[in-house]
Amino acid sequence: MSKTQNNEKLEIRIDHIEDTLASVAAGDMDARINSEIEDDLSGIEAAIDLLIDDLTDELKQREKMQKEVEEKLSKIQEQQKTIVQQQEDLLELSSPVSKVWDNVLILPVIGTLDSQRTQIMMENLLEKIVETGCTIAILDITGVPTVDTQVANHLLKTVTSARLLGAECIISGISPAIAQTIVHLGIDLSSVKTKSTLQDAMIFAMKQNIRSENIKLQTLFDNPNENEE
Amino acid sequence: MSLVMLELTSEKNWEKLGKHILKFENDVVKLRQTIRHYAKQFRMGIVDQTRVTTAVSELFRNMYNYAGGGEVVIEKGIIEGKEALIITCIDSGPGIEDLELAMSDGYSTGMGMGYGLPGAKRLVDRFEIESKVNEGTIVRIMKWR
Ligand SMILES: Nc1ncnc2c1ncn2[C@@H]1O[C@H](COP(=O)(O)OP(=O)(O)O)[C@@H](O)[C@H]1O
Ligand SMILES: [Mg+2]
Repeated sequence: MSKTQNNEKLEIRIDHIEDTLASVAAGDMDARINSEIEDDLSGIEAAIDLLIDDLTDELKQREKMQKEVEEKLSKIQEQQKTIVQQQEDLLELSSPVSKVWDNVLILPVIGTLDSQRTQIMMENLLEKIVETGCTIAILDITGVPTVDTQVANHLLKTVTSARLLGAECIISGISPAIAQTIVHLGIDLSSVKTKSTLQDAMIFAMKQNIRSENIKLQTLFDNPNENEE
Repeated sequence: MSLVMLELTSEKNWEKLGKHILKFENDVVKLRQTIRHYAKQFRMGIVDQTRVTTAVSELFRNMYNYAGGGEVVIEKGIIEGKEALIITCIDSGPGIEDLELAMSDGYSTGMGMGYGLPGAKRLVDRFEIESKVNEGTIVRIMKWR
């Protein structure tokens, strides 16, 4: 073989190496040199092929990891969404206003009254008062562990707003320990009707109801003509 | 607020039970529960548990509302021969200009009822407050077992 011929062959092989590397760089991870000749250059060719193998493995692994991370992330985001939803549900749940008799609403307050929850609780109650036309609302705070001045303030505001809408509130479920604490704080709850248990509050509301029914009946007796139409 | 002030009343033989950062409104509730837990561990009755928990609730809310948060140190020590739970609230907020006014019933610069500080004082066995305008406020309460 002449020297020029040899040089030409080498050039072809080097071109092939360059092409292969260019293909790999362009993202074709199947490209290999695959030289079948055994000489000084073939060692380099084989080493380059091995490097491409390694690179391919690494890329595949990275892709897999990225996919995993993305999957985990979307799972976490999903969970977060659920938690937020559950929190919102809980907010709603924790202030379920229900009508127990014709004229009486009950709002059992459970848990800690932070500003957000109190706001929702108050809105729910006032809406329900307007919607049902009830004139008595029982706020049961048996499930509230701490009544500080902020909570008391919110309760007082709720009572005042309800009153403006024509409903009287009864606060029930104030434990002896909380009652003492409220007094020491210096908060005056004397303008609010309070009962120690929900049961007491319900009995009170029932009596109140009967009394107003009686008054209605009484006016009917007194002015029989007025209601004749 | 510098801890130098704290050194004035802090005694070396108190045992530190915990130190917490109060930053979010949620922390008010969490830390309040922590205090209730210590009060229970102290074998305080339900009335004293409620009192001390309500008192710190006032202080925590003030820190959150007026100082943008702060730090809460919980200790126990012997005060006047009695075992005491000691809670110190430290903030680097705007401070209180007129302490006497702030400690009076019904005074509020915000939307509150103005019963937090004087109320908390009535609920505990000892109440200390120090404040410097533009530096911060330290309130320490103690409750004997
Ligand atoms: N940590 C504090 N930093 C700055 N100002 C405070 C702090 N605590 C209380 N104050 C001030 O003292 C006043 C009285 O506090 P408080 O008795 O708790 O009543 P309220 O919080 O209802 O206003 C507050 O309105 C506020 O101006
Ligand atoms: Mg306050």
